[in-house]
Amino acid sequence: MNCRTILATAVSATAILASLPALAQSAAERAVEAAKQYAGTEITIVWEAGLQALDPLNFSGPKWKELTGIDVKVIEVPTAEMFTKILQEHRAGTGAYDALNVIPSWMADLARAGALEPLDPYVDKYGYRDELQTIAPVYRDNQMLVGDTIYGFPDDGDVFVFYYRTDVLGDPEIQAAFKEAKGYDLPVPPTDWQQFYDVSCFITEHTGGKPYGAGLFRDPPYAQQMFQERFRVAGGKFFDPETMQATVNSEAGVGVFQSMLEENKCMPPGVETWGFVENLAAFLQGDTAMTISWPPYGRWAAGYGLDQEAFSWVPKSQIAGKVGYALTPGGHPQLASGFSLAVSSDSNNKEAAYLFIQWLNSEEVSIDRVQLPYALRDPFRDSHFTSEEYKSRWPEAPQYLEALQAGAVSGILDLSLLQTDRYEEALRQGISRLWAGEDPQAILDDVAAQWDAITERVGVDAQREAYLDWSSKPNAYPN
Amino acid sequence: MQPASGQAFVGRGFKYGMVWPAVLVILLIGLFPIVYTAIVSFQNIDMFGEDTSFQGGVHYARLMGDARFWQSVLHTMIFLVVALPLELVLGLLLALLFLDRLPGKQIFVALLILPVVTSPIIAGSTWRLLFDNRYGPINQILSWLTGEPATVLWTVNPVYVYPAILLAEVWQWTPFMFLLLLAGLSNVDQSLNEAAELDGAGFWKTFWYVTLPIIKPVILIACLIRALDLFRLFDVVWALTRGGPGTMTETVSIYAYVLAFKQFETSYAAALAVVIIVLLSLVVMAALRRVEFAR
Amino acid sequence: MRQSPRTLALRYLLVALALVFFLFPIYWLVAISLKTPDEIFASPPIWVPGQIQFQNYAVLFKDGDVWTIWNSLVVATLSTAVAMLLGTMCAYSMARFRTGGDHFAMWVISNRMIPPIVIVFPVFLLYVKLGWVDTRLGLIVLYTAFNLPYVIWMMRGYIQDVPIELEESALVDGCSRLQTFRLIVLPVIRGGLFATAVFTFVFAWNEFVFALVLTRSNATTFPVQVTHYFGGQSNFWAKIAAMSTLGTIPIFIAVAMLQKFLVRGVSMGAVKG
Repeated sequence: MNCRTILATAVSATAILASLPALAQSAAERAVEAAKQYAGTEITIVWEAGLQALDPLNFSGPKWKELTGIDVKVIEVPTAEMFTKILQEHRAGTGAYDALNVIPSWMADLARAGALEPLDPYVDKYGYRDELQTIAPVYRDNQMLVGDTIYGFPDDGDVFVFYYRTDVLGDPEIQAAFKEAKGYDLPVPPTDWQQFYDVSCFITEHTGGKPYGAGLFRDPPYAQQMFQERFRVAGGKFFDPETMQATVNSEAGVGVFQSMLEENKCMPPGVETWGFVENLAAFLQGDTAMTISWPPYGRWAAGYGLDQEAFSWVPKSQIAGKVGYALTPGGHPQLASGFSLAVSSDSNNKEAAYLFIQWLNSEEVSIDRVQLPYALRDPFRDSHFTSEEYKSRWPEAPQYLEALQAGAVSGILDLSLLQTDRYEEALRQGISRLWAGEDPQAILDDVAAQWDAITERVGVDAQREAYLDWSSKPNAYPN
Repeated sequence: MQPASGQAFVGRGFKYGMVWPAVLVILLIGLFPIVYTAIVSFQNIDMFGEDTSFQGGVHYARLMGDARFWQSVLHTMIFLVVALPLELVLGLLLALLFLDRLPGKQIFVALLILPVVTSPIIAGSTWRLLFDNRYGPINQILSWLTGEPATVLWTVNPVYVYPAILLAEVWQWTPFMFLLLLAGLSNVDQSLNEAAELDGAGFWKTFWYVTLPIIKPVILIACLIRALDLFRLFDVVWALTRGGPGTMTETVSIYAYVLAFKQFETSYAAALAVVIIVLLSLVVMAALRRVEFAR
Repeated sequence: MRQSPRTLALRYLLVALALVFFLFPIYWLVAISLKTPDEIFASPPIWVPGQIQFQNYAVLFKDGDVWTIWNSLVVATLSTAVAMLLGTMCAYSMARFRTGGDHFAMWVISNRMIPPIVIVFPVFLLYVKLGWVDTRLGLIVLYTAFNLPYVIWMMRGYIQDVPIELEESALVDGCSRLQTFRLIVLPVIRGGLFATAVFTFVFAWNEFVFALVLTRSNATTFPVQVTHYFGGQSNFWAKIAAMSTLGTIPIFIAVAMLQKFLVRGVSMGAVKG
């Protein structure tokens, strides 16, 4: 922990801070101190059901109660329902939720609908601005603000990571055969999609599918995010900023669709239906030599935490110690999904709710949370990537953290507009049609037409403003 | 219809006193949502705004020209006209199978109706598992039968999505038909059949001319109940394909769900709801009259 | 009717085939609930779990997830009881006195036609005003209202089947209307009552859309709980299977116990002698 250095900067920083009585405190301690006056009350927080929710249920909730006397009630909601539930409760003005987990790409919608509380006044009041600055820049600069207002604290360093089997890609026999066949050294790991395709198909062919060269997310909700990444890496732009005409059906888009189809031929049969779990199981069981997914794969592949009861659904890792971590081909991994902590504008206990999320998000507490073996929060602060404790968790953990940090520098954002989900829905449907065998150009023309219709419906000017806000963020497009 | 001869014995207080509690509960839950939906369908409420001014029929006009809506109606109809006869015929055959004395019948019937009592959302997920290419047994069985590895992507390939959904749907609801029809058949006076058979009519002939007319009301009621359910078809499709590929298997209920809860097109979804309710009411009223007359 | 042993054998064969088809998916679900993770993710799939272990169930009890089954039980039982009581009363009045006439009967059944998905949000708004969101009371009232049309419609049929002479003689003997209803009519329609109650119970037990929207955490029912196991970054097939199995057991017991009423009862209402 570099608690001391943070304190140093905090002290020298703002006047507001200096005016606080509890000067020599960390942000976490300040939150606890201020929250004690709300002891005996209860705050509710919306959290993704399942593994994610084990954090507040087993760890942070009880701890917060112990420190402040405030009860934390966790409302578990499946990801697919989170947006709906949050907006629905806001519509009815129930005040049933105090604090929220929101996916950053929803923040524009939720802020515009008035569901989120602007956090700047609280940040200043409780002296959190400096510690916000030590969140890794990519999350801090992209997943915190709507316009110039803070609506959420980036709390989960979700980014796609490229995983490969060092024993397969590093096998001298395979390497030699590859060089002979393709005329260049087998890249370990592949750094662009052409190389990926070559290596993947070569391994599948060479080993007769034991293992397959690669397996990737192809189920539309996941594949949609991978498409967003590759489309931009290939130089695609989502819209013409002048007219707001959708340009997703450009050459770049069609090219990515075609590549994805081609790649499937060298992947395990039925890969078109693969989501998070199918892909995970295949990789952990050693059936695929390369894959792309979120950071938890890396921890579980190493066997970290798999002895926990919470993991009774994960097959045992056959590949511990044989996994390399890298940037995805093209070097700009999608910062897919992620979570930010926010406060509901309808809450009747906003101060306590805010203090809870400041405490959760703070340097001191978050370092523990990202290391919970059963949770799904991934490193998102500079100090997480360099934590000596984390590096010692398994032999390859230092490389793992390096890969995450690299991704956090060059990663690119989920598209976030007004009514983002409608645009994504059109893409999801497009991908399912791609697997159904329709023509890539025809599909993407359709998707573009649907996007235009949605833009028309939302309002071209309002959408342009939202798009410009999004695309002006440093990591909207690769640079 | 029974003659209303009890009338003479009763005061108005008792007669209406028996009805009111039920009506109140139905009204409490039923009235407000319908009225609210009808009003909202003439306003302009979406994800961001509560424009409650009167907008006339713009949403209705838009709905009439919404290809996705009409396609969802078409898909729903496809499920309806394929699944309903299948369930009816299979249910009837099963019921005939059980009609005669059959030791162990009670246990078999209890087991057979298990699919009906399974939650549709769970039934759908179970079938997704069964259809799974990697972990599901269906492709495995296929590969045993064909002697070569079978990779049928049931939830992806446009050729197979309808059969897959229909299979799950028929699996879950055929036992319902079976139960109703078995009940109807058990009530048919066996002496009628025997008389017909004595007259030289074969089994099928007897069935067609004697039994079937008698159980017609049961068949109609069973079909009506199932048709209403099929019109709302949601869970199984959602679990298997989410309406895909594209919107190829999207039903009216799924589209309504997407509009109301994903896109928060509150007013537009309300207009769709009103159209569905009106359409359904008309169709069902007509159907019910026929059933009533058939009684 | 007499049947040859061959016919009987053939019928058993066909019954066996039907049983395999209709029970196999349920077997598969139960089998998964007993598997270890490695067996669940075996490809090609394993048909019979290697060693029976109840770990997947133990977790549900330990984490308290089974409370949602208790919620379902309370909600389904009470709403069924209330719907049966009010519905049968209403049906009696309609059957015997033609209360409200055909139009009323039509109006009643039309309430059953509304797809839940199209009215669930207004119901949510209403419940916010009443303070019924996330309460079992709210679900009980809702399921009662949703089941009433079905109960009324079915029970009306059963009651119409009861020979009116039975009642008239009781009335002549000095019984009150209510006594006649309780002592004469109810026993006769017992079968229909049970059959209708079972379907009412099944509906309330399995209902998903309303429960999803109208609960947060206190009144979560078991079908909603099952969806908690489908995550963006996790899929607890073991829990899904175990919870589904647990949730199907009570209803299976109910159906098995009332099975003979089911067949007889359904027939009484639907078929006019």
